[in-house]
Amino acid sequence: MSMTHQILAHTVSQVSALAAFAQTGAAEPTAPTFWMPVGASTISQGVDHTLDVINWICYVFFALVVGLMVWFVVKYRHRTGDKFRTDYPSHNTPLEITWSVIPTIIVIGIFVVGFRSYLDIYTAPKNAFDIKVTAQKWAWSFQYPNGAVSDDLYIPAGRPVRLVLRSSDVLHSLYIPDFRVKRDIVPGRYTYAWFQCDFPTGQPGKTPRDPNAKTVSGPEDDAQAHTLFCTEYCGTGHSKMNRYVYVLDEASFGQWMTDQSQWMDKIPEEELYFKAGPKIFARCQQCHSLDGTVGIGPSWKGIIERVKAYPIVGDGKEYGTWEDYVRTSILVPGKYVVPTYGNVMPSFKGQLNDKAIDAVLGYMQQLEKFDTKTGKLKAEFDPATGMKK
Amino acid sequence: MTTIQLPSPGAMPDTIEARPASDNYLTHTRGILSWIFTLDHKRIGVMYMWSVLGSFLLGGTFALLLRTELLTPGPTITESADTYNQWFTLHGAIMVFLVIIPSIPAALGNIILPIMLGAKDVAFPRLNLFSYYLWVTGAVLCVVSLAMGGFDTGWTFYTPYSTTTTAGGVIPVLTAAFVLGFSSIFTGLNFIVTVHKLRPPGMTWFRMPLFLWAIYATAIIQVLATPVLGITLLLLIVERTVNIGIFNPSMGGDPVLYQHFFWFYSHPAVYIMILPAMGIISEIIAINSHRAIFGYRLIAFSSIAIAFFSFIVWGHHMFTSGQSALMNTLFSAISFSVAIPSAVKVFNWIATLYKGSVSLTTPMWYALAFLFLFTIGGLTGLHLATLSTDVHLHDTYFVVAHFHYVMMGSALIGMIGGLHHWWPKIFGRMYDERLGTIACWIIFIGFNVTFFTQFMLGSQGMPRRYYDYQPEFQIYHVISTIGSYIMAVGFTLTAISLFGSFFNGKKAPANPWGGRSLEWQCASPPPFDNFAKAPRVGDCYDFSVVHWDPKLGGYRVDESNDPEVNPAAQGTKAAH
Repeated sequence: MSMTHQILAHTVSQVSALAAFAQTGAAEPTAPTFWMPVGASTISQGVDHTLDVINWICYVFFALVVGLMVWFVVKYRHRTGDKFRTDYPSHNTPLEITWSVIPTIIVIGIFVVGFRSYLDIYTAPKNAFDIKVTAQKWAWSFQYPNGAVSDDLYIPAGRPVRLVLRSSDVLHSLYIPDFRVKRDIVPGRYTYAWFQCDFPTGQPGKTPRDPNAKTVSGPEDDAQAHTLFCTEYCGTGHSKMNRYVYVLDEASFGQWMTDQSQWMDKIPEEELYFKAGPKIFARCQQCHSLDGTVGIGPSWKGIIERVKAYPIVGDGKEYGTWEDYVRTSILVPGKYVVPTYGNVMPSFKGQLNDKAIDAVLGYMQQLEKFDTKTGKLKAEFDPATGMKK
Repeated sequence: MTTIQLPSPGAMPDTIEARPASDNYLTHTRGILSWIFTLDHKRIGVMYMWSVLGSFLLGGTFALLLRTELLTPGPTITESADTYNQWFTLHGAIMVFLVIIPSIPAALGNIILPIMLGAKDVAFPRLNLFSYYLWVTGAVLCVVSLAMGGFDTGWTFYTPYSTTTTAGGVIPVLTAAFVLGFSSIFTGLNFIVTVHKLRPPGMTWFRMPLFLWAIYATAIIQVLATPVLGITLLLLIVERTVNIGIFNPSMGGDPVLYQHFFWFYSHPAVYIMILPAMGIISEIIAINSHRAIFGYRLIAFSSIAIAFFSFIVWGHHMFTSGQSALMNTLFSAISFSVAIPSAVKVFNWIATLYKGSVSLTTPMWYALAFLFLFTIGGLTGLHLATLSTDVHLHDTYFVVAHFHYVMMGSALIGMIGGLHHWWPKIFGRMYDERLGTIACWIIFIGFNVTFFTQFMLGSQGMPRRYYDYQPEFQIYHVISTIGSYIMAVGFTLTAISLFGSFFNGKKAPANPWGGRSLEWQCASPPPFDNFAKAPRVGDCYDFSVVHWDPKLGGYRVDESNDPEVNPAAQGTKAAH
C-alpha cells in the first residue's frame, strides 16, 4: 500500500512539475499542431500540455492492445479441424489485479493534471477587464465599460479579460478555439469566461462583414484574428453565429473603444440613414431581407406600406404611426407578431438607442438607395452625401 | 440420471414428439396473423430485428445526407440550414431511440436469452409482445411528427430551444421517445425476471454465459434510468403545451435542470447501448478462441460495476454549462472510474486470445474490429473526462467522433457481429463468409476514415451541428464524407451476404462455431419450444468437450466425459 502510495505521489509531483513548467510565458502564440490550433492565450499551453500527456498515454495503450491482439491472432491462428490448444490459463489473479491498479493510478494522474489546468481556466484574476456579452439568435453583441458596442470582440493585449455572458433567448455557448475557452450562455443566468492574450492581431478594415455571403468569410484585411464560435445548438443561424476576436495593444484598444462608443454621435441626424443604417442592418440581415425574400422575419421591402395597412396602426389604434410600430417591434418584438412568422425575434433594448432606431427608420424610408444583397449604399450614390453622384 | 423439470411459462401442450424434424419456430404456424399475435420470443425478436434494421437504413440515409451536405462549406445539397438541422436531429433520434437502444437487448436478446437459459420463453411473453408494439407506436409517432413539420431540436431536446422552436413535430416526437422508453423498460423488466426465475437447475449466477450478465446489467439500467427520461419528456410536453415554467427561464424555470434530468438518463443509456455489445464480444471471442474466457468473474463484475458507475457520472456532459467548479471536479473524478472496468474488459478479451485457438470467422472479425474501435473510443473518453481539455473539446467534432467510436464503432459493430454470430441459429442458413469478412473490413476502414478524421476536425475547433463552416475545415470534411460512402458500400455488401443466405446459403448446422452455451445445443433454427428435452447445463466456457465433426459441417458437444453433466464419467476425468 505505502509503496503504491509513494509511486503515486511521485508520479503526481512529476506530472505537476511538468504542467507548471509548461505554463510559463511564451514569446508568441504556439504554432498549430496536428491536433491543436494556434494557442494564443495564457492558458493554452497548459491545456495543450495536458492533451499531450493524455495523447501519449493513449498511444501507448492503443499500441499495446492492438499489438497484442494482432500478435495473438497470428500466433494462435486455428484452422478448422485442428485440435484445440488446452494449455491456456483460465485466469491469473495477480495479473488481473495489476491491470486494474495500473490504469487506476494513471487516471488519477490524468485527473490531477487536468484539474490543475482547469483551475487556471476557471478562476478569473481580480484585475480583469470586464466586457458584457449578449448572445441571441443569431448574433453576438459585445458591450464595453465606456458604452461602446461591437459585433466582433475587441480585447486589450496583455490584460486578463472577463466576459460576463448572458443570453436573451435560448442556450448559446461562446467558444474561442485559439484561446481554449468555452462557456455556455444560459438564459436567466450570468456566466463568466476569462482569458488573457498577450499577442496583438491588428485591426480589421472598416468595411463590415457581408453576412449574406454564401459561406462564412475569413477576417478582412489580413488581420490575424481569432475565430469565435457559438457551440451550443441554437437553430437556423447557429453555424453562422461566429465572429472574430481582435487583440489590440493597450493604446490602440483605448482609442478603438473611444471611437466605437462615439461612432454614431459624430454623424449628423440627416446622414444617419446611409452612414449608420447599413451597419445596423448588418445585424438584422440574418432574418430580414431587402428584396422581398421571405426569411425568418418579414422582408423590409415595402415594409412601411404594409405596416400602414395593418389594422392595428392608425388613429385610435394601438400604434399611432408606423414609426411607433417599428420602434416597438425592435424593443418589444413579441408585442405584435406578423402572422405566419414565429415569435423568435430577440429584443434590442439596450443595444440600439434612439439615434440608432432613427437610423433604421431612415434606412427603411430610403431603401431604394441600397443594394438588396449587401445592404450597402448603391454605387451610384455618393458615400459622403448620400446623393446621386 | 435425474430428469430436470424445466419451467415452461409459454405453457404449450407438450406435443414435441409428434412433430416432424423439420418443424421450427419459423414454420410452426403460418400466416401473417401468426406473426402479429405471436407470443414466441424468437418471432418477437425477429420482428424487432427487421424493424431495427429498417430504422438503421433510415438513420443511415440521413447520415449520408448530412455527410454529403458537409462536402463543401455553404449550401451543397440543401439551401436551407433548417433542413440540415432536421436531418441531424432525425439521424440522432432514430439511431439512439429506434436503433441502438433496442438493437441488442430487444432483437438479439429476445431471441437468444431464453434459449441460452434453456427456457421455453421469457418470463412474460405477453408483456414482450406489448413492448414490441410500444416500439411500433413510437416509430409511428416519429413518422407522425415528420408529417406535422418535423423537429429541429437535436436528439437532446435541450430547453428552451425545444420549447420555443416553431417546428411542428416536437410534441409527437417527445411522445414517441416517451413511449419508446416504456418499451425499453418492459423489455428490461422481462429480462430481469427471466434471468432470476428461469435459470435451469445447475446454472448458477457464475455459470451464466457473459452475454446474459451483460443483458442483465443492461436491464437494470433500463428499469432504473428510463423512467427519469419519461418524466422529463412529459415535463417538457407540459411546458410546451400549457406553459408551466419548469425549464424555461422566461417562465421561472431552469434550463440547466433539464440537462441534469436528461443526462441522468442519457448517460446510463450509453451503457444500455454498449454493455450488451460487450456481452456479445465476450461470447464471440471465447467461442472463436475455443478456450475458456480469461477472468470470467472479473468480466461479469465489471459489467455490474459499469452499470453502477453509469448512474453517477452524468455531470460530465455539463462541464461548460455553468455548473459549479466543485461539481465539475467531482464528476470528472468519478467519470474516470468508468475507465477502469472498461479497460479491464479489454485486457481480459485480449488475454482470452492468448494460447487460444483463434478461428477467423466473420463474427470474429467483427469482434476484433470492436476491440480496435472500442479501444480508441474508450481512450478518447479520457480527453473528455479531463476538465481542462474537455472545455476545449466539448460540443466539437471531437465529441462526435468519440461517441461514434463508442456507439457505432462499438455498440453497432457488436450488434452486427452478434447478428453474424447467431444468424445461422436464427434462420438456419449459412451466409457467404468470405463476402461477410470483406464487408466487415470495408466497414472497418470506412468507419476509421469517417470518424478518425473528426477527432482532428474537433480538436482544431470545428463545433458540431454546423450547417456551414470555415473553409479551412473542408479537407477534413471531404475525407470524412468519403469514409461514410465507403461504409455505405460495406453495409450494402453485408446486407447482400446476409440476405443472400436465404437464396443460396447452405443449411446451417446446430453448432457452426463451436459454442458450448445452450443455444448451440438446439437445432438451427430452433424448434418452436426450443428444446425437445431439457438440456443439460455444463460449463459454458469449457470447450474441451467440443469437437469438429466434418459430417455435420459443424461442431458437436460430447459431454459423455464431462463429470458436470455425466456423473458416471467422474472417474475418467479425475484420472485424466
